[in-house]
Amino acid sequence: MQKHKHLVAILGLAAGLAVFPVAAEDNKPLKVCAAEDEMPYSNKAGEGFENKLAELLGKGLGRKIEYVFWTDPRYFVRDFLDKRLCDVAIGVDDGDPRLLTTKPYYRSGYVFISREKDGLELKNWDSEALHKAKRIAFVPGTPAEIMLRAINRYNDQFNYSQELVGFKSKRNQYVKYENSKLVAEVASGSADVAVLWGPAAARYVKAASAPLVMTVIPDNNVRADGQKVGHHYSTSLGVHKLDPTLQAQLNKVLEDRQDEITELLEQEGIPLLDEPEPAK
Amino acid sequence: MRISKFTRAAVASVIGGGALLTVAMPIQANKDLARLSKEDTNWVMQTKDYSASHFSKMTQINTHNVHHLKPVWSFSTGVLNGHEGGPLVVNGIMYVHTPFPNNIFAIDLDNPDKILWQYKPKQNPAARAVACCDVVNRGLAYAPETSEHPAIIFQNQLDGHITALNAKTGELLWKMENSDIAMGSTLTIAPFVAKDKVIVGSSGAELGVRGYATAYNIKDGKQAWRVYATGPDADIKLSKDFNSANPHYGQFGLGLKTWEGDAWKIGGGTNWGWYAFDPDLDMLYYGSGNPAPWNETMRPGDNKWTMTIWGRDINTGEAKFGYQKTPHDEWDYAGVNYMGLSEQVVDGKLTKLLTHPDRNGLVYTLNRENGDLVNAFKIDDTVNWVKKVDLKTGLPIRDPEYSTHMDHQAKGICPSAMGYHNQGIESYDPNQKLFFMGTNHICMDWEPFMLPYRAGQFFVGATLNMYPGPKGTLGQVKAMNSVTGQFAWEVQEKFAVWGGTTATAGDLVFYGTLDGYIKARDSRNGKELWKFKLPSGVIGHPITYGHNGKQYVAIYYGVGGWPGVGLVFDLQDPTAGLGAVGAFKELAHYTQQGGGVMVFALGY
Repeated sequence: MQKHKHLVAILGLAAGLAVFPVAAEDNKPLKVCAAEDEMPYSNKAGEGFENKLAELLGKGLGRKIEYVFWTDPRYFVRDFLDKRLCDVAIGVDDGDPRLLTTKPYYRSGYVFISREKDGLELKNWDSEALHKAKRIAFVPGTPAEIMLRAINRYNDQFNYSQELVGFKSKRNQYVKYENSKLVAEVASGSADVAVLWGPAAARYVKAASAPLVMTVIPDNNVRADGQKVGHHYSTSLGVHKLDPTLQAQLNKVLEDRQDEITELLEQEGIPLLDEPEPAK
Repeated sequence: MRISKFTRAAVASVIGGGALLTVAMPIQANKDLARLSKEDTNWVMQTKDYSASHFSKMTQINTHNVHHLKPVWSFSTGVLNGHEGGPLVVNGIMYVHTPFPNNIFAIDLDNPDKILWQYKPKQNPAARAVACCDVVNRGLAYAPETSEHPAIIFQNQLDGHITALNAKTGELLWKMENSDIAMGSTLTIAPFVAKDKVIVGSSGAELGVRGYATAYNIKDGKQAWRVYATGPDADIKLSKDFNSANPHYGQFGLGLKTWEGDAWKIGGGTNWGWYAFDPDLDMLYYGSGNPAPWNETMRPGDNKWTMTIWGRDINTGEAKFGYQKTPHDEWDYAGVNYMGLSEQVVDGKLTKLLTHPDRNGLVYTLNRENGDLVNAFKIDDTVNWVKKVDLKTGLPIRDPEYSTHMDHQAKGICPSAMGYHNQGIESYDPNQKLFFMGTNHICMDWEPFMLPYRAGQFFVGATLNMYPGPKGTLGQVKAMNSVTGQFAWEVQEKFAVWGGTTATAGDLVFYGTLDGYIKARDSRNGKELWKFKLPSGVIGHPITYGHNGKQYVAIYYGVGGWPGVGLVFDLQDPTAGLGAVGAFKELAHYTQQGGGVMVFALGY
């Protein structure tokens, strides 16, 4: 019920602005902002799961897909979407204030990844195994960093974290943590635990050289000052703030094809969570 | 005849040097080295002598004839990366070093056509990737023969090892691991020989290395002591009376208390600059570098004892005093620079002084017996992050406009992260009581970013743009009295004077420029008297020595290092190389890579 109301509200807004599409627009290719090389999301060869999603969207809209590739995830909104060099970004946080976001098409969470044979008891950030783990692979700037600080494992993992990116400084450049590499660190025994965004790790966990376990971290974590550290996120499509028409069209496609999308995500191995009831 | 008037000192030095050749006192390496360093035919340490005077008493080359300097021989090192530091000359042999792969060549000055011996270490190539700003090396050190060991050439390798080679043959005597590249720690500093020890620093503060200095026994490489910049007092090695003369600098427990939690463990404070030594006081002086991580919001507190001028007992490593120049650094003003020792009159009393041109744009002069702050002034009036240093408290009075806090976009911060003074070794003319400073004149915009991505991830970092300072060029050379804070003269240079200066009693100051000139100026007034364009830009320092009655000047060419990082790696993005590429984008129109040494003498 809630979802339905949401959608109606958005359609109403679009109508109010009187920017319903004209036929010519419909036939133009849909320009998708996508990463040139940010796997498993997207790459130039179209191997990411968001590349497959883009195809689905194209089909749903009856428009061809045309990629506009970016290399630096820090600036794809500012330098591409804001400048209307592309129409839609796939896989943004629901409610990202820089964009208009569609209704979420999936929700997932951060996960602990460990080797099956180790049988580590990894339930949440209080788990003893996190204190015993020799090396913990994580991506700086994610909730994992905040929590590693909270459990006092950040400083002793700092060097390892740098090593994972060949000691590249984050000053003046984008430093990419390869999700495949972080998962491989666990599979090879180099790290005991990796903490990653589930969708980013899923396919590599599935394909790992040693059987791995992926545990979704519960979403009940807080910082020292009591502020929540979100571990579960709903994922949407993002369009330019002045493009409610496309937002509405995409919402329709998402609704029509949610089953196909879910199947695609399940094939990828992504742990899927229920959408929470929105606060009233 | 005019020449003879100026050759007396040089000839006397040559004779003195010859007589000393055969003397080898047991376990008095430091005394022999001190003596060798006073013979101007030699150049036995990177700093020339323990005071780091970089001053030669030779007068054969002087203001009247310097324009007759001509290249007399040259030697290509076969390595193209930036060549910092300078060659050593000991008793007729020149020792030439290179950046990674850290090769060494010994050249007999009687026959410079032929390489006497060469050493090409096998190193872990992974070290290249860890080094932040080109793969530089700041030079070799020499220890004279004793009854326990032959004469030794010491070298620090980029992959974290210190090696001891037989100075006669190049044979490896011992090798120790000082820094672990797997922890982001490399070695670029020159070793420093004092007493029966060789001192080695550390690099990699940017990567969260906890900085330390280590003393190894010369004879066998056994570790004598190691002192950290952060953490418990026992690790930092504070003496019982640490800072007793200046308790307001802070005393005990601060290596822990001035950090949040155990952030001191990754707190930086490496030292990759230069040492000085006072044999009368048995004290070693050096500066610890910037705190880590560089993003200041991640490390609240003063972050002691990063950015500190240390005075330590050479025998034990214990610190007698420590003065932190930039508490809670926000600009990467790594405080590892040159330490110049002088004896000058302060308040009517002849005082043992230490002068340090810091990267933060201030020149500090301390009483080197107890750490009293004698003076602190701006190396250039365009320094703006700080209004002044309160000499009573020792604290800098900051201008919040030029802070780099996350919620603040600072424009026009002077100096830039490169500092108004970086790794150059400077010179001190005791006759004129002047220090000669080769400086950077570079400012920056610092745009911190915290950009959202997906799933609650943020990219945290900063973008630095560097550009010429308000006076319009990228460098300066200045003559300065460290006690009065008065500048006798200053001249602008198109590019930074990265490698430092060398002065002589011939009233000359020599230096190299990034675009590849070696220049000589009249040290009394700054007038340019001679210059010569080298095959590549200079980031090292000139030396001067005597051989068979003739005075020579030698210098490395080989552009690179932090300022030349754009040329070395062919970078185009102006913010690449931590912002250096933009600042030095013009450089590629003036010089290209190359590496070698060029030697000059009077050619008439």
